[in-house]
Amino acid sequence: MISGRRTICLAALAALAAGGQWVGAAEGDAATAEEAVNNVRAAAKFLHDKGSAGYAEFNNKDGKWVWKDSYVFVYDCRRDRMMAHPMRPDLVGKPIMQITDNTGRPIFKELCKAGSEARGGWVEYMWQKPGAGRLSRKLSYALTADMSFTTGIQVSAGIYDEKIPLSDLTRALEKMSDPAKYPAL
Amino acid sequence: MTEQKLGNPAVVGLAGFGLTTMVLQFHNVGWMGLGPVVWLGLIFGGLAQMIAGLQEMKTGNNFGYCAFTAYGCFWIALALLLIGNHYDLYTSSKTDVGWFLVAWTVFTAILWVGSLRIHGALALTFTLLLIGFILLDLAHFGYPDLTVVAGYELMATAAMAWYIMAHIIFADVFGRDVLPVGKPWIR
Repeated sequence: MISGRRTICLAALAALAAGGQWVGAAEGDAATAEEAVNNVRAAAKFLHDKGSAGYAEFNNKDGKWVWKDSYVFVYDCRRDRMMAHPMRPDLVGKPIMQITDNTGRPIFKELCKAGSEARGGWVEYMWQKPGAGRLSRKLSYALTADMSFTTGIQVSAGIYDEKIPLSDLTRALEKMSDPAKYPAL
Repeated sequence: MTEQKLGNPAVVGLAGFGLTTMVLQFHNVGWMGLGPVVWLGLIFGGLAQMIAGLQEMKTGNNFGYCAFTAYGCFWIALALLLIGNHYDLYTSSKTDVGWFLVAWTVFTAILWVGSLRIHGALALTFTLLLIGFILLDLAHFGYPDLTVVAGYELMATAAMAWYIMAHIIFADVFGRDVLPVGKPWIR
């Protein structure tokens, strides 16, 4: 089902690219926006199916939720906690709402707001790219995971790109989220 | 020779039911994680309440016999379900848990009718419990934000169970009815 959805996503994104609108056509080993959206949606589905027992999988930096230069991380907007993060184990279990980037942007407050939208949403901030020694411009897609006995759990993954306008990613997401083509989880 | 005094198994059943229900709601409203719910669910809400329920048989109380044994099993099943998910044993999705709760809602509705004939405090407890189950059902089928509403509502249910527990214990230790439970809603 996920691969089928991915195929449709690729078709939608190819159409966008053909129209000169496509975003996130990253080169080489850089994760694309499409991959981020698909992996976040797959992660939300995984948590829906497995419940809180699934958090641990996201702490594995060699696991399936880490690819190219990106990864999925899980956080609790209601309890103000990082639930799982493959690259920053020091953050797991810690409060997140006070975390800001070097421009003062409250990263998780904005992720929680974007992720609470029905289709999820994109947020732009500065974060350290895995393997890089400096901060990069990161655009992350956040989505709420629908789980038993809990609310406010979100999953997110991002791409590193210095140029893509956030509005392009938002527009692409709207097209990818066409309910007729992309039924809810 | 005086007859040996026996304890009322309901005090343990109500204690385990109330406490485990309470901690699950602490989780549902976002105050704590799920770990304590699993272990309390196995031991206090589960094993202790189930044993209390089985002891009700000798008192001739069919309502307590059924309710405590069944809700003891509810907690054991829920805890094992969560543990099973961790070990990939018959993994239960949110939808699966939702149907599990729907079945318990129907069962609770039957006991709710019986509770109306026992006393006011028990009728209120089961009315709150039934509403709580319905809210959790809705939370699992399209209205996830109701998890928090159900959390606060079921805290009231747990408090009512403890009230009845305290009614029984205080009546024993004070030698008089300190916490009245009121008349049945249906006579």
